[in-house]
Amino acid sequence: MSEAGIESRKAPTDAAVAIRNLSKSFDNVEVLRDVNLEVKKGDVVTILGSSGSGKSTLLRCINWLEQPERGSIHIAGERIGTTDDGRAMSVKALARVRAKTGMVFQGFNLWPHLNVLHNVTEAPIHVLGKSRHEAEAHARELLEKVGMSHKMDAYPNTLSGGQKQRVAIARALAMQPEVMLFDEPTSALDPELVGEVLGVIKDLSAEGYTMVIVTHEMAFSRAVSDQVVFLEKGLIIEQADPETFFTNPATERVQKFLERHD
Amino acid sequence: MNASAWHMLLEGAWTTLWISGVSIAMGVTAGLVLALIRIAKIPVVDQVLVLYISLARATPLVTLALFIFLSAPTFGIQLDRSVAGILALTLNTTAFNAEIWRSAFRNFSREQREAAMATGMTPWITFRRIMLPQMLITSLPGLINEMSFLIKGSPAIAVIGIVDLTRVTNRISAVTYEPLPPILVACVLYMAIIGCLVWAQRVAERRANRLAV
Repeated sequence: MSEAGIESRKAPTDAAVAIRNLSKSFDNVEVLRDVNLEVKKGDVVTILGSSGSGKSTLLRCINWLEQPERGSIHIAGERIGTTDDGRAMSVKALARVRAKTGMVFQGFNLWPHLNVLHNVTEAPIHVLGKSRHEAEAHARELLEKVGMSHKMDAYPNTLSGGQKQRVAIARALAMQPEVMLFDEPTSALDPELVGEVLGVIKDLSAEGYTMVIVTHEMAFSRAVSDQVVFLEKGLIIEQADPETFFTNPATERVQKFLERHD
Repeated sequence: MNASAWHMLLEGAWTTLWISGVSIAMGVTAGLVLALIRIAKIPVVDQVLVLYISLARATPLVTLALFIFLSAPTFGIQLDRSVAGILALTLNTTAFNAEIWRSAFRNFSREQREAAMATGMTPWITFRRIMLPQMLITSLPGLINEMSFLIKGSPAIAVIGIVDLTRVTNRISAVTYEPLPPILVACVLYMAIIGCLVWAQRVAERRANRLAV
């Protein structure tokens, strides 16, 4: 075995997310094929691609909401989902590693029986074991950050889509995750509400949060990314810094994609 | 009706209330436990539960109460009348409640569960903190409906000698030879009990509206 081969199998320690040789099928259709991706601490990576390219599946594998058949994923050096000998983790161990990630969904997925403040404090209290007082103090800070502190007592069904998504971002941040995962965070929003959510995500990138974002917003991707990844039929066919990716793409496929999304 | 008749009526009402209350509390809880076991789909256990649920739903309460009370001594168990009555009502209502809970569980939003797991909640915490409170609210109309069926069906336990609110009217009229007054009062008392449940149901439905995102 070559030196490089051994090198790539080593469990990475400094990357926030390290994906190695990841493959996944749905009903015999391969949606991810041998994907390798590393996200450095503090970096923002956006994943682009047409619908059905596997980008949401890739994101959902990172916190094990989808289970890949092959490959490994490490979050801040810790393996998620399976142990090194390929066996499934216990549900407790899996939950503990998942807590190192925060996810924001396309459909917000707030818990409707809890008000805004309690949506944010629920996991810190019942997963991290924080006191209610401590969790609420932190939640107030986060809701301030996303501009939702005036709606602390409101229930989700009284909020607009943009407001719901900003609460969902605060909820994910409350776990102080190593990496934030965004699954098309603005796709379900009315056009006039997209800006307020993208604004919040931009602020987070300026504060140094590590983020992986699946999106269709090209201008946003160009503005916030340290790395842009382009997925096509489950393969990463291009990966570059945003300047190179958007001005001088290497493949014809990406050129065509960018022309269509201009 | 004299004072002693009123006293007997209220005692009958109390018997109906406490026996039904205990059966409801046990039936709602046991129904949830059965629903969860059924969702786990454990072989054999699942088939046994399906059999129990269809038997319990198909058996008249009077028959069930008689069967329990009369068969217990055969197994060497001395059953108190009240215990036998509670057992019959509970076995009956649990089967219906299990189905109500099960459908609430199955219809629960996958997206909300994923959001819970993504924050690092274990399946147990997800169930307790996210699912159960909402399942309770969505199931409450069905559960309360079943509660009022139980109370209205509870005179069946008179067959094993329990003097409940309906049976007591018989006793009173046997002395007074005036059957109408006690049965009228009994009707009003039943209506008051069921009325409380209907009111609780309305409150529950108002709270449930909040869950419509």
